[in-house]
Amino acid sequence: VDVAAHPHVEQHSAHDHIHPEPTGFIAKYVFSLDHKVIAIQYFITGLLFMLIAGSFAELMRIQLMDPKGTFMGYHTFNQMFTMHGTVMVWLVLIPLVTGSLGNLVMPLQIGARDVAFPWLNMLSFWLIPVAGLILFSSFFVGAPAAGWTEYPPVSVMQGVGGELWCLAIIVVGVSSTLTGLNFLATIFKMRAPGMTWTRMPLFTWATFATALINLFATVALSGALLALYLQQAFDVPFFDPARGGSPILFQHMFWFYSHPAVYIFILPAFGVISEVLPTFARKTIFGYKMIAFSSLSIAILGFAVWAHHMFPSGIAPWLQIPFMIITYLIGIPTGIKIFSWMATLWGGRIQFTTPMMYALAFIGTFSFGGITGVFLACVPADLHEHGSYFVVGHFHYVVAGGAVTAFFAGFNYWFPKATGRMLSEKLGQAGFWLFMLGLTGTFLPMHWLGLEGMPRRYASYEVFAKAYPDAVFWNRFESVSSFLMVASVLVLAINIIVSMRSGRRAGNNPWGARTLEWMISSPAPYYNFRKIPIVLDRPYDFNEPLPYRNLDDETDPYPVPTEAGGMHRQPVPAGRA
Amino acid sequence: MAVSTPAASSALLEHALVEARYHNVDPVYAETRDIRLTGFVLFLLADCILFMSFIFAYLYLRTSAPTWPPVVNGHQIERLDVAFGAMNSIVLFGSGVTMHYALESWKHLQRTAFNAWLGATIVLGIGFLLGQAHEYSSAPMTWTGSTFGASFFTLTGLHGFHVFVGVIYLVILMIQANRGVYTGSKYFGLVAGTLYWHFVDVIWVALFFLFYLW
Repeated sequence: VDVAAHPHVEQHSAHDHIHPEPTGFIAKYVFSLDHKVIAIQYFITGLLFMLIAGSFAELMRIQLMDPKGTFMGYHTFNQMFTMHGTVMVWLVLIPLVTGSLGNLVMPLQIGARDVAFPWLNMLSFWLIPVAGLILFSSFFVGAPAAGWTEYPPVSVMQGVGGELWCLAIIVVGVSSTLTGLNFLATIFKMRAPGMTWTRMPLFTWATFATALINLFATVALSGALLALYLQQAFDVPFFDPARGGSPILFQHMFWFYSHPAVYIFILPAFGVISEVLPTFARKTIFGYKMIAFSSLSIAILGFAVWAHHMFPSGIAPWLQIPFMIITYLIGIPTGIKIFSWMATLWGGRIQFTTPMMYALAFIGTFSFGGITGVFLACVPADLHEHGSYFVVGHFHYVVAGGAVTAFFAGFNYWFPKATGRMLSEKLGQAGFWLFMLGLTGTFLPMHWLGLEGMPRRYASYEVFAKAYPDAVFWNRFESVSSFLMVASVLVLAINIIVSMRSGRRAGNNPWGARTLEWMISSPAPYYNFRKIPIVLDRPYDFNEPLPYRNLDDETDPYPVPTEAGGMHRQPVPAGRA
Repeated sequence: MAVSTPAASSALLEHALVEARYHNVDPVYAETRDIRLTGFVLFLLADCILFMSFIFAYLYLRTSAPTWPPVVNGHQIERLDVAFGAMNSIVLFGSGVTMHYALESWKHLQRTAFNAWLGATIVLGIGFLLGQAHEYSSAPMTWTGSTFGASFFTLTGLHGFHVFVGVIYLVILMIQANRGVYTGSKYFGLVAGTLYWHFVDVIWVALFFLFYLW
């Protein structure tokens, strides 16, 4: 039915059957089925893990202030960078970017009452703290120290700690897979009437592309880690050359997931930017379809580039060239996005709010990280840069400068929707400048240190400092700068506490945005929408009236919750209906 | 139209009855079923990737090995017994056929036939697992001795685990069906069970080819 042509179409569907809101503390806040509460749970968990992983990083930076590296033992240093990378990638970025923002925003943007499988959503969240406990328990038996990539043979030589690492990441993998499954089913089946694929908000498009990667790549990682676990625990020789196995096989299996995994963080980031820019430029997004389809093509191409992490590992030259070329190809959809964003800003009426500041900064920092990625994808250049601080600089520009910056943009943008309060703009701007200065000061010098040949993952760089005396100054500069980022996160935490207590009331739509989540009260009511809205057009045309029918009317009563219906889409028990 | 025989008219009546059941599905249930079917198919796709990652490992190890089956302690490992594997495969594929008829009987409201077909499926599933147990005990290699053993036991073990879970799943479905959990028009659980069982069959086609025929 073309709903646009028949706005009178009455819906009668599962959308209209809703359960009453739970009242007990446990059901409401702990084992909640509500996607908005789960989003906040993901946020708090991710932020706590970020503080832990960040403190590992700071301990490493303290070690590196002295080229001799006397602050901690070398093995401890190895454990620190291993745990820093592992926790940041799997327990901070995935919960924050896909878990928190995806859960909060996507169901609201498509006009659904919840995700397709709320119970599974709850399970996905609770697997994250479980994985954290498994991972941190390894500190009692000797934490893993083989780097976040855990390449064999080193990783199979480190005892129980390595096994716990595998189990923890398999648990995170199951959680991500279930989230991907849940989000895909939600986007496939639960869009509001009239919301065709090309009317979906761009953050939802990005979440869709991410969910595809989550579902298909994460299982492959679980496979790789299961094989690694079997070798560690039962001595199964997948990666043991003495019995015909191959350590390079692990690298193939690992990167088949872990390269797409980078897009798991960065695609939602692209989605955030595509929402924030038009709102604060007061202008239609430029190239809607190109942005949407470039997300998909990045997701698809991302499955065919993994071996660019392995150029020096000894893969055949005829294999290196296609991987180099396909990696370059990813520059095309990414470039389409960057230029579409800039064209969106062109001629707009820009408001420099905190989310907009982060979004604008993202375009710069992410482009920079993307361009150094082109260097690394180039086989001859990579042979020089591989394993140096150039890689660390590149990766952190993409992840901290890209995913985390965009997460902060999204966080500042949607905080009023999640809590009903505005964040303090002054504290927000202060946090922004601290973060950006810290980011640049910490990660920019890594590029030239790496080009000069400073190897990554070394607990002491005494030898390198003899060849390149400036290294001591730059490392101290990086260490001092890195504390600015810590300060920025603390400012953020203060901002949250202050604003939750005394922030300005947000109202439905504090930013004058046009996507569906801003059409309902803040925080969103338990059922999200009193009536499921009908969507007539894309949300981004600021010159047109809002493209929705059937929007909430504050004077309407809520529909009466029915016991037999299923807001949570549990099947109707047999014999009852 | 020709005059209908009593048998044909009873078939027509039954058909009309089934049609009525199909088309008078509660819209809430229909939508829920649709969402659950999507989720279940996505789950099977994801599960498929898990097998594919181990199959990739097997292909990589096999194609990079100097000889296959590999040589351990100076002796080349024997190939697997194709005849026994083929027999066991027939047992599993047969269970796919019986599962199909179980679901069809349910759709046609034939409870007795449904129970018989589903029971046959469960028996064949257990038969396959027993065959696998025999295969494991008489295998010419060990799990940890070579990449052949590592791939074979891990992949078929993963598959066997899926069959084992499937058998339990089918037993639960049988109990639920006989307790009246499913009705003529509301039987998504049975559809999911059938899909899962066919999925396990299809994976075995790949594994049988890779380990026995190749």
